[in-house]
Amino acid sequence: MKVYIKWLAAFLVIMQTPNFFSQKVVRYELTITDTIVNFTGKDKRAIAVNGQIPMPTLTFTEGDTAEIVVHNKMKESTSLHWHGIFLPNKEDGVPYLTQMPIKPDETFIYRFPIIQSGTHWYHSHSGLQEQIGMYGSLILLKKKDDPLFRKGIDDLQEVPIILSEWTDIQPDNVHRMLHNANDWSAIKKGTVQSYSEAIKAGHFSTKVANEWKRMLAMDVSDVYYDKFLINGKNESQFSGLKGGQKVRLRISNGGASSYFWLSYAGGKMTVVANDGNDVEPVEVDRLIIGVSETYDVIVTIPYDDIAYEFLATPEDRTKSTSIYLGNGKIQLKSRMPKLKYFEGMKMMNEMMMMDGSMNDMSMDMSLQKMDMNTVMYPEITGEAKKKMGHMNMDHSKMGNMKTGNMKTDHTMDSTDVSMNMNQEIVTLNYGMLKAPNTTTLPEDASIRILNFELTGNMNRYVWSLDNKVLSESDKILIKKGEVIKIVLNNNSMMRHPMHLHGHDFRVLNGQGENAPLKNVLDIMPMETDTIEFLANTEGDWFFHCHILYHMMSGMNRVFSYENQMPNPYLPDKEWAYRKLQRESNKLHFMVENDFATNGNDGMIMWQNTRWSFGTEWRLGYHDVHGYETETHIGRYIGKNQWFMPFVGYDWRYREREGQLDFQEENIFGQSDTKDTRTAFSIGFQYTLPLLVNLQTELFTDGTVLIQLMREDIPISSRLRFSFMINSDKEYMAGFKYIVTRYFGISTHYDSDMGVGFGLTLNY
Amino acid sequence: MKIFKFIMAVLILLSAATGNAQIKNAKIEKVKISGNCGMCKTTIENAGNLKKQASVNWDKVSKMAIISYDSVKTTKSEILKRIALAGYDNEIFLAPKDTYLALDSCCQYERSIKTLAKIEHAEIIVEKEEIKDSIMDAEIIAVEEENLIEKVYDSYFSLKDALVKTNGGAAAVSAKNLLAAINNVKMDKLSMEVQMVWGKVFEKLKKDAELISKSKNTEYQRTQFMSLSKNLHDVMKVSKQETPTYYQFCPMTNNGKGANWLSKEKNIKNPYYGSKMISCGKTVETIK
Repeated sequence: MKVYIKWLAAFLVIMQTPNFFSQKVVRYELTITDTIVNFTGKDKRAIAVNGQIPMPTLTFTEGDTAEIVVHNKMKESTSLHWHGIFLPNKEDGVPYLTQMPIKPDETFIYRFPIIQSGTHWYHSHSGLQEQIGMYGSLILLKKKDDPLFRKGIDDLQEVPIILSEWTDIQPDNVHRMLHNANDWSAIKKGTVQSYSEAIKAGHFSTKVANEWKRMLAMDVSDVYYDKFLINGKNESQFSGLKGGQKVRLRISNGGASSYFWLSYAGGKMTVVANDGNDVEPVEVDRLIIGVSETYDVIVTIPYDDIAYEFLATPEDRTKSTSIYLGNGKIQLKSRMPKLKYFEGMKMMNEMMMMDGSMNDMSMDMSLQKMDMNTVMYPEITGEAKKKMGHMNMDHSKMGNMKTGNMKTDHTMDSTDVSMNMNQEIVTLNYGMLKAPNTTTLPEDASIRILNFELTGNMNRYVWSLDNKVLSESDKILIKKGEVIKIVLNNNSMMRHPMHLHGHDFRVLNGQGENAPLKNVLDIMPMETDTIEFLANTEGDWFFHCHILYHMMSGMNRVFSYENQMPNPYLPDKEWAYRKLQRESNKLHFMVENDFATNGNDGMIMWQNTRWSFGTEWRLGYHDVHGYETETHIGRYIGKNQWFMPFVGYDWRYREREGQLDFQEENIFGQSDTKDTRTAFSIGFQYTLPLLVNLQTELFTDGTVLIQLMREDIPISSRLRFSFMINSDKEYMAGFKYIVTRYFGISTHYDSDMGVGFGLTLNY
Repeated sequence: MKIFKFIMAVLILLSAATGNAQIKNAKIEKVKISGNCGMCKTTIENAGNLKKQASVNWDKVSKMAIISYDSVKTTKSEILKRIALAGYDNEIFLAPKDTYLALDSCCQYERSIKTLAKIEHAEIIVEKEEIKDSIMDAEIIAVEEENLIEKVYDSYFSLKDALVKTNGGAAAVSAKNLLAAINNVKMDKLSMEVQMVWGKVFEKLKKDAELISKSKNTEYQRTQFMSLSKNLHDVMKVSKQETPTYYQFCPMTNNGKGANWLSKEKNIKNPYYGSKMISCGKTVETIK
């Protein structure tokens, strides 16, 4: 009898187990529609999912099966990528890499088992759709009986927080303007760093040195945003919290290109997880969250009747966004002071070598431990020093400072106290992240080491790995079972959040066996970081910079498992890969014309990563002034793209009354009527120090042209100076005042056409 | 003449219109804003005012402000937020703690939430005392110890810490102590090896310490600190110590030529830049 019962019990257990493991299917229906939003007082197009921005928060428990039904009701194709999730490759949601785009009016079902927990998010991986609304939180809960369940952390009340930004300019246009080095964003942000501003700040020589090293003014971010948002709102309140209560904020950065500083008015924050992976709790005053990273942070609500501001400030500190936790009066957090750009420029000058590569002065920087931008942070390094002339104007403040210096010995005045306080600000860095359990990879696996140098060119907005964009590189083949160790070295001037699809990697940060697991690695200029992961799945996985505009400029690679099975959602992978490559190397269009009293001056240009197709013209209003066009097709060479050989075609026509045979000589003694000419040419452009453009051209009729030109020298925030001089003894100099994004007022003197005033339109 | 009158009338009408039109859709409200004095009034009103959108008039006796604003373009809450960010509590927002503390002492009004205010006062007092303490520490002059060279090292490290904090006053005091410690060293008690080196650098050490003690300009002090560190390093290398000392190097200072310093901590805390680049540098030698 006993045996019988035992058997029965065993049988029941066996019967139960499949039930126990048979997954619960959690289904979400997502309907994607075009919509109109108004964040700034102007109606603009955006994308809503189930009628809302951000997309709805999706919650699953480890062990569930996710079934997400996507109805595309837009007029363009789309896709959804599950950021940081381990899933079969065909569910990863990268159009032309793991599936075909979801066409208008099509329905697509993503279905995958949830085999992990943590804070993640999801977004469109099609074009720039993420910028205009397609981002949302994706929360994977631990099972209650999970051995890794952390009491006091995993049982707290949770608030999902997704950060984002909004611009009234269509993202395609933002992208185009970035490639055309349009400085409208800088004007709006007040970060042009012009010569007059440099002089005022006592940094004239810094500016000259900067341009001597052929750098355009630097900023910590490229795009001007009208609004920054937490859960789709600039300000919001999360009430119903009690004094003394702890809350877990599950924060994802869904911004397209903004890093955010996070801080809290109610005291310190405890970081408990990063990129969906638990870390040992660490207490900090502030932390920066990279684009597409996630952090789980615990905060305490000190009092019942006060709401405390959780403040997210974009790295450029132009604005901020907040959520108030609790009820009652709102305790604010002080705003981050403006960056000291010229200090940053000075630093950059020291780091930048003449050949355009960065010198880390053998400081072995890594893991965000040493933030070179600190020189720009007034809260740590003090307010910018003003020039003597300014001091007198700023009398009240100076008075305080002087007395402060007088009595340094014993009594410090309050400014000194706050300075000392600020030195103690604890800022999180990657070195402080430690996994609670060992994360080591199998020791017997073979190790493959890959080195990547992050490269970039701000002037032309080219971002690449090893100076190659995606369209210039093949898939990187990897084998299942091997350990891939990647050494990343950032030799560009911007920081990059590098994201790997479908895997978590270990960040070798000195925590040994407890190296933290991440899927996004922020790497600052001049840093070298090492990451490693076990190739434990199959398919094609994207590895890219998550700044949307960098990704769309080609800062991507694909890791491809050898001998993979066909993907039912993507029958022709080779064709699709070429399509993917082309998407991130599009031609960007610009056109400009100066309608002046003495003629028209303008150009039209299409450019991509390497090629440039352009025509310039100078059109007079009558035959005496003449008409002239120059067409160039060129290819940019080298990492810095200072050198561009080209082939060209020139055409000109001019009439001179009564002196048809009028000859002009150039400085080489070659003569030319300059009146009617059609000629082909070969030549090159080269960017000299101080950003002067040298152009040398040899024409089919034997003449030679050498020309020096510099456009857009920033005199003040909106005033630009340009000049040109060439071996045909022609010269030009002029000013332009930028009124709006597309419109400016100009005046110039031209040796052919004389003085002119005009309106400049550019697109 | 009639025409002239007409034009005048029109002008007057127009100016009246523009006067009123300064704030369109005006809504006027009365709110309580904490504060003390005339200086507060200026700060509060400057923070609240926004051209064509909002104007604030605060009364220091009643602590009441009359705010009028364009109800289409802005809200009461936006205005009060700006005022709170300038340091003044009001009916919707409480000022950030550090902003409140940075107000001039006459402006530090009593905060309505007593508990919070108490905490803040306690903290600021502690912070001030800590600073005093560190100066006091530096003032304790080394006497009556057989192992007198150790006192030189100790004073050097407190000087270094003062430079890390970019505190010229404390650095000067530490340098004074260092000078005293150097003078107190009894040559005959040192080992032969140390004596040799000490003899060579003694005068230089004294000179650097004296120069640092006479200045409060950290930039100047740091220049002297370079040679001071180098010379003391030579001494330390030959003398025995219980705990290791780290010889560290920052490649950026001294116009890119770099400079060294000695530290008891392995972590980099740069005395040449302080908070500006606190972690710049690396350990080049460990002296045991």
